[in-house]
Amino acid sequence: MSVADRLPLGDAAGNGALLLGAVCVLLAAVFALTPLVVSLPGSLYVFFEVAILFAVYGVLVLGLDLQYGHTGLVNFGHVAFFAVGAYAVAMLSARDSFAGVSLGLPWPVALAGGVVVAALLGAAVGATSVRLRDDFLAVATLATAEIVHSLFVSFEGVFGGNVGIGSVPQPVSDLAGDADTAMLATLLLFGGVTLFTLAAVTRLTEAPYGRVLRAIRADELVTRSVGKSVLTYKMQSFVYGAALAGLAGGLFALYTGAVAPGYFTIQVTVTVWIGMLLGGAANHRGVLAGLAVIMGLRLLSRFALGVMPLSADAFASVRLVVVGLILVAVIRYRPAGLWGDAEELGVDT
Amino acid sequence: MSLLAVENLGKEFGGLRALDDLSVSVDRGELVGVMGPNGAGKSTFFNCVSGVVTPDEGRVLLDDADVTGDSPEALARAGMVRTFQHTRELETMTVRDNVRLAAPGQPGERTLPALLRTGSMRDREREVRERADELVEAFELDHLADEYSGSLSGGQRKLLELARVLMLDPDLLLLDEPFAGVNPTLTREIAERIRALNDDGMTVVVIEHELETLTELVDRLVVLQQGSLLVEGDPETVLSDERVIEAYLGE
Repeated sequence: MSVADRLPLGDAAGNGALLLGAVCVLLAAVFALTPLVVSLPGSLYVFFEVAILFAVYGVLVLGLDLQYGHTGLVNFGHVAFFAVGAYAVAMLSARDSFAGVSLGLPWPVALAGGVVVAALLGAAVGATSVRLRDDFLAVATLATAEIVHSLFVSFEGVFGGNVGIGSVPQPVSDLAGDADTAMLATLLLFGGVTLFTLAAVTRLTEAPYGRVLRAIRADELVTRSVGKSVLTYKMQSFVYGAALAGLAGGLFALYTGAVAPGYFTIQVTVTVWIGMLLGGAANHRGVLAGLAVIMGLRLLSRFALGVMPLSADAFASVRLVVVGLILVAVIRYRPAGLWGDAEELGVDT
Repeated sequence: MSLLAVENLGKEFGGLRALDDLSVSVDRGELVGVMGPNGAGKSTFFNCVSGVVTPDEGRVLLDDADVTGDSPEALARAGMVRTFQHTRELETMTVRDNVRLAAPGQPGERTLPALLRTGSMRDREREVRERADELVEAFELDHLADEYSGSLSGGQRKLLELARVLMLDPDLLLLDEPFAGVNPTLTREIAERIRALNDDGMTVVVIEHELETLTELVDRLVVLQQGSLLVEGDPETVLSDERVIEAYLGE
């Protein structure tokens, strides 16, 4: 990508993802809407679960890559927008949840509401913090995530406290014939959404729009002095990333049928950040691949527990050590990530 | 008629008076040099005029419109573009993209046209590329067009910065030390380019230490000292002025 043009205007970057996404969604519709049923071997369930979570986190990491990879905004509170999207969808669509607010609106309305609420939170945080220099923005976003998390735990009457919100509709499960078919349809649908997101962010960043974002990442003053409204672009990039995180959260809520603070810890932010840095910031497909690597490793380590002569507690620590070592190795030997471009990211190799 | 008028400009940095009641005006089509010893306020003058810092007092008029305190991006769109004393490249972008970035009026810099990949965006981008390639070639950077600008030498950076600002086709070009750290051959070349731009009707203001090149180049010299105007006039008169000699050579 270093040479030649980043903007292949004639042929259309992102169209492959768009097409593949459409195929996925169509297939999902076939499984969900027709009496067709599939049965999956029980041993594969765990792979399907992780793959569905990967699709959800994929939308998260693509939003983060727009913010950090292209615009240089250090958002250490990505989970906040994910959580707010999930809670908004859950509260808008749940019927008679055991705890917290449940409004019982149709799920498509709730999903749209979730995206809007996350975008609004993004706009509020952006308006107050996006002017800050990198490290200060990191602190402000990290604090936002902590505040959001505490609010969800503390306001039991509204957010259901540690129990969270239950009885959220699960449209795919309701439509599909049985649990196995629902799982496959969900994976295809979410995979399709992730691919659509990939197509959208690719189009955005391959267009002159992305050129302005990368210029901001490189030098704000120069970008301003050639007539670009840097603040507007930073706000847009931040809000778009937040809205995507809200979408991911909404999908997550409609898949699990319940949300609780335990799903939305700093661990989510850490996972998508490691995935992005591992894959190579500013390369959309790279960050997805990096996320796949880190989530794949986590999955593998589950099986490793069975053959290791260690207690589960000790093993959890070993797992963290291994992830940390991988990150250290990548930063040492491939500072731009596995598929990142060192010159474009301005790092020494 | 003056294109740029600066009236009673004042700026203080923590008790240090960088600009003190400075009034300067530049006519359309002029080529003006700004000189003065270190700390005379040359860069602060540029920064105040180009919106990088807001002056404490006074007004800046561009084409008779009050633009005091306007942002650099608004001023760039209004036709006043500047370069920086220490060249600022977008090091993580290619030479080509550095130049293309500056193109005005690209609808593809908005979200919807970018997402929909509209025809107007593609048409504009075709023009932008053509113009950018022309400029890159004119500044003899074409063999480096696909290199990241972080790998350019000091002189090449000066050329790239010029190519980039010309993409905006400004009415008023402010150049902050365009010859600093540049070898004599390239200095002459840059000076010729500046003169050619001025001959084509562009109004240019140049800050410079390098006295010889500057005095040969400009129509009029403005000398600053301690934030105020010391002398102004045509280069020969200014250089033979007692006060200027004193300011430069010391007491």
